[in-house]
Amino acid sequence: MNPRRADFDRFVADSSDALLRTAYLIVSDLGEAEDLVQETLFEVARRWPRIGRMERPVAYARRILVNRALSGSARRTRRRQELNAPTASERVAGAEVAGEIDGQDELVAALAALPPRQRAVLILRYFLDLPEAEVAAALNCSLGTVKSTASRGLARLERAMRGTNDPRSIPT
Amino acid sequence: MNDQLESDLREALRARADQVPATAAVRLSRLDYRPRTRRLRPPLAIGAVASAAVAAGILAAVISLGAGASSAFAGWSPKPTKAAPGQLAAAGAACQHSQSSDAGLPLALADTRGPFTFSVYANSESTISCIQGPSFVLLSQSQSSSPVSVPAGQVQLASARRSDRAGRAFGFAYGRTGTGVSAVTLVLDDGTKVQATVANGWFVAWWPNGAQLKAAELTTPAGVSTQTFNLPPGCNTNKDCQGGNTVVQASGTGGQVKGETLSSSQ
Repeated sequence: MNPRRADFDRFVADSSDALLRTAYLIVSDLGEAEDLVQETLFEVARRWPRIGRMERPVAYARRILVNRALSGSARRTRRRQELNAPTASERVAGAEVAGEIDGQDELVAALAALPPRQRAVLILRYFLDLPEAEVAAALNCSLGTVKSTASRGLARLERAMRGTNDPRSIPT
Repeated sequence: MNDQLESDLREALRARADQVPATAAVRLSRLDYRPRTRRLRPPLAIGAVASAAVAAGILAAVISLGAGASSAFAGWSPKPTKAAPGQLAAAGAACQHSQSSDAGLPLALADTRGPFTFSVYANSESTISCIQGPSFVLLSQSQSSSPVSVPAGQVQLASARRSDRAGRAFGFAYGRTGTGVSAVTLVLDDGTKVQATVANGWFVAWWPNGAQLKAAELTTPAGVSTQTFNLPPGCNTNKDCQGGNTVVQASGTGGQVKGETLSSSQ
């Protein structure tokens, strides 16, 4: 087998799981996440002679994945509205009434209600434990933007969690 | 509060990510992505740019699939065409290669339209459909929970589905034919008619836009009759839609679309 092909196959085997889990956390839909990872890996495959020589090809793949996830977020939001699916906060509110979900679910639901870019920053930072510089590289933005976006995202989560823990209020 | 929140967030994200089945990543890693193994040479600047443009075009078609149907599905026709020499064999090899290890179903029928081949593999319990084009392979798997019994002179859908990526769509339908049905023409909700391939008790057809299946005109010894399908009005009201795909099961099939994989054959 061509050694570059072998390198690529090894890269796919090593990175697919983390890419898929990251995509799933961002888009909250397994089918959509699988599509995103497939598309990402196709794009990486097409550029493999260059990407394969990078120190960390997975960082490049992650950047493709996140950008694709974010660029498709508006379409997904429209589709969710068309489906009349409950928003994350509605799910939280409904579940709170039913008393069926625990704090982790509330947190995930509140995360899903964040603007896509805030959500992505928090996922890269707190799920993948990436340094802020790598988060900035993945999102193609500055370190300062990552810091401020993460700060705003955490603040919103905190407010949402306070809201769901207060039976008199429903997060919006 | 932030330290606690950050800790809780890490824990919640880990728990949420654990919901992803391990088999999903394994399946993704089994696809043949056909990595480019040689760099384009700078001296061939113009040609290189042209080649890159072609490659990008192919990739776009792979990724978006339904894409501006006209370009992504150039060569499609509303009537089946005769397979080119080697076309069925190539499609068979591509589809078998893309199937997971639990596949290996016998070929029920193959529909060719220009450079595209839609194959249905089936046994009594499950079916796998596979569309193979110049630059992609798309698999879709269904499982039946009950034996199929189709009334004479009618057809029964195994699957009718629309796929939508980046706002570009295509649709397909396949199923079983009852005794006496010799030809099937699908009628879409935009008025388009698509002649299906009929063989071995099966029919199959697909179309390169987002129109939804509405009815089928069936040719039997008694003449031509129309069978309408009571499908939900598209993805907008179908709660089973996932990953940008409309999944519609006809009543009585007992089928359920299990998943879809896409791989390149560029």
